[in-house]
Amino acid sequence: MLEPDVITTAWHANLTLTLCEACDSHYLLPPGLFPFKCPTCFEADLIEIEAERQPNDLLHHYAPELLIPFTVSQQELTARIQQFTGRIWFAPSDLKPNTLLNRLQRLYLPMWLVDSGVEALWQAEVGFNYEVVSHRDQFDQNDGGWHSQQVTEQRIRWEPRLGRLNRTYHNMPAPALEQHTQIMQQLGQYHLTEAVPFQAQALDQAVIHLPDRPPTDAWPDTIPAFHAAAAEECRQASRADHLRGYRWTSDYRDQQWTLLLLPVCATYYVDDEGRPQPIMIHGRTGRLSGPTRASMKRARTTALIIVAVAAALFILSLILGGISFMAPPLLILAGISLLGALIIGMLAITPIIVVWQYNRNQSNRGEREAQ
Amino acid sequence: MGTDLFPPINFIPVPSAVEGIEVYQPAPVKLPAHREVVQFNCPQCGANTAYSAADSGLTCTNCGFYEPPEHAVVGIQAQRFEFTVDTVQRAAQGWGEARKELQCQSCGAYTTISTDSLTHTCIFCGSNQVIQHAAPQDVLRPRFIVPFKIEAEACHDIARQWLGQSWMTPRSLRRVATIARFTGIYLPFWTFETVTKAHWQAEVGHNQTERYYENGEWRTRTKTVWQWESGRVTVPIKDLVIAGTNRVSPLLLTQVKNDNLAELAPYEPKYLAGLQAQTYDIPLETAWEQARHLMREQTRRACYDQASNSKIRNFHMNLDFDQEGWRYILLPMYLTTYQFDNQRFQVMINGQTGAIAGQRPVDWTVLWLAVAALLAPGLTVGVLGFLTLMLGGLGFPIAIFGFILVVIGLIISFNWVNKAMRMDDA
Repeated sequence: MLEPDVITTAWHANLTLTLCEACDSHYLLPPGLFPFKCPTCFEADLIEIEAERQPNDLLHHYAPELLIPFTVSQQELTARIQQFTGRIWFAPSDLKPNTLLNRLQRLYLPMWLVDSGVEALWQAEVGFNYEVVSHRDQFDQNDGGWHSQQVTEQRIRWEPRLGRLNRTYHNMPAPALEQHTQIMQQLGQYHLTEAVPFQAQALDQAVIHLPDRPPTDAWPDTIPAFHAAAAEECRQASRADHLRGYRWTSDYRDQQWTLLLLPVCATYYVDDEGRPQPIMIHGRTGRLSGPTRASMKRARTTALIIVAVAAALFILSLILGGISFMAPPLLILAGISLLGALIIGMLAITPIIVVWQYNRNQSNRGEREAQ
Repeated sequence: MGTDLFPPINFIPVPSAVEGIEVYQPAPVKLPAHREVVQFNCPQCGANTAYSAADSGLTCTNCGFYEPPEHAVVGIQAQRFEFTVDTVQRAAQGWGEARKELQCQSCGAYTTISTDSLTHTCIFCGSNQVIQHAAPQDVLRPRFIVPFKIEAEACHDIARQWLGQSWMTPRSLRRVATIARFTGIYLPFWTFETVTKAHWQAEVGHNQTERYYENGEWRTRTKTVWQWESGRVTVPIKDLVIAGTNRVSPLLLTQVKNDNLAELAPYEPKYLAGLQAQTYDIPLETAWEQARHLMREQTRRACYDQASNSKIRNFHMNLDFDQEGWRYILLPMYLTTYQFDNQRFQVMINGQTGAIAGQRPVDWTVLWLAVAALLAPGLTVGVLGFLTLMLGGLGFPIAIFGFILVVIGLIISFNWVNKAMRMDDA
């Protein structure tokens, strides 16, 4: 059993550990936010986990080290949401800019940062820039023959190098959420250079998503970052301009795990079937991502109205047809009315086809993104 | 990557710019220490040794000691160098001094020699010495050499045969000429290679015959129709040999020069022992300019060949030189002079192939007699035809036949005179 003050120790803030029973995600909530909908699935309200019921495998005791602050402005959020809602025909009744803006929640997504000492034997080809003199000539029969121009070209001389490495690398990132890759594909990457040291005040009523991947799972994902960092340092150590074919055999020691917090704004709308559809917005760039579903209910209503108009025209044509026995010129009007009824009646199917096709395209796109 | 042996053999540490990272690089190939003067004495008897074309190695004429070359022939696979900015600048600077004082390591005598000489034979003790102006790692020293294949003794036979080869030379030349001793000398040459990539465009003319109606009748005429064409040409040019010296007649060098570099061997001072050798006096950039001139003309011809017809106007091409490389090599030549009729004539023989070129006196009396004999039949027939024509006979065809004979005679005479002038001027 963890000590009750473990959160305060790690986060230097008074935060409440909560759980979404619908999606099994854990969050840290600032005080005064209850009741609060799960910012991932928006299916259920978060429930507080009391200290004595906290499971052992929870990852809330890892301290945050860096945080990327929110910079997206309210105006930009409004503009993005208006753009998002405006592009859907027959949008669900709940998909309105004001509704989405009112439900907007600030959320920090976690990412692992690991510091580790590395001992390795390495080997690579390093490249040194050098310049050669070359020529470009031109011949013009009407302009006195040959004209020669000397040009300097840059080339790379590759040489083998190997060596030993004993270094410590800091803040190698790795995903802390199972959905990390998918979220980054949808929202775009965050630049680690924009991160600032974590301070509790910077949380500013934002909710914190806790990691759902333990460090043991995330460790293999950090290896490429260590590899790239070591390769770059070996290039610098060799005083070379380029490096290729970097290979190493490495041993790691003294690993320290901390968290990096990525800013996201979350909101949702309810679709025809009453299911919440979550929407995420990048806290730096304002890039928005979320499923867009058109309302089949609204499409059907529209189709029915069109059918009703067509039916009215049809009845009118019948009436005009009956009267035309007494006043034959009215037969032309009856014909026009009948033709209009037929055309409008056929158009009634259009809203349903449009919505069906749109939802189908969105489903396919969602599946592709999930892959 | 194995961890058992670190660092691997033949790797040496180099200074690292990052603390905690050790860097190793392959140890450079150990070059022999730079000896500015290499002396050749027999390790058995102490006498002078010299390179022998017959044995392809260093031999001692006193005791028969033989030492073969250290490196095998590499041929056209010999390493090429790039035109790095550094190399081009250094090549343009030259050797810096005109003469150098040299102390003979055998007898201690001091001699002043020109810096364009690569070898020296001490006039006091006769010892053979090779002077190496540049350090072994310097790219601007001779790196490759084609060793002598033809012995100096064979050159006399080649020269005698060549002197008596032509009917234009005096009949007594072969017999009377006094040929001086042939001097074996390695002359400097540059070799160049590149891939030229050209894009050309030009108007290409095609003849078309058309019928037209004029003055009540149909006629035909030929007119040229010009059409724009363009194309791309890639010409790989390998081992173009350009002389690196101005001291020998360029005409003679062109005639005896051999572009077959299959016998190129890595440079060793022992190839030069007992022979003369010169450093280049035409710098790399100047020679490269000459080579580029030949290369671009070759590429231009390739562009012309690509056009659909040889009638071309408004030709324009852009040419890029790619993968440029060069070598500084020494090629074996024999030089001598011979005296005839109180005049000296220069002769050069390729020490690898035996190709010979030089000046030969022309017996102009014999030549003009031959020309006269050649033209006489045509003139005679022509006069005969003219007379017959005047007398009302079949003179016209005879005169025409005479005219043709004169024209043929003039063409052959022109060739003879041309050839004779070249022989005289070479």
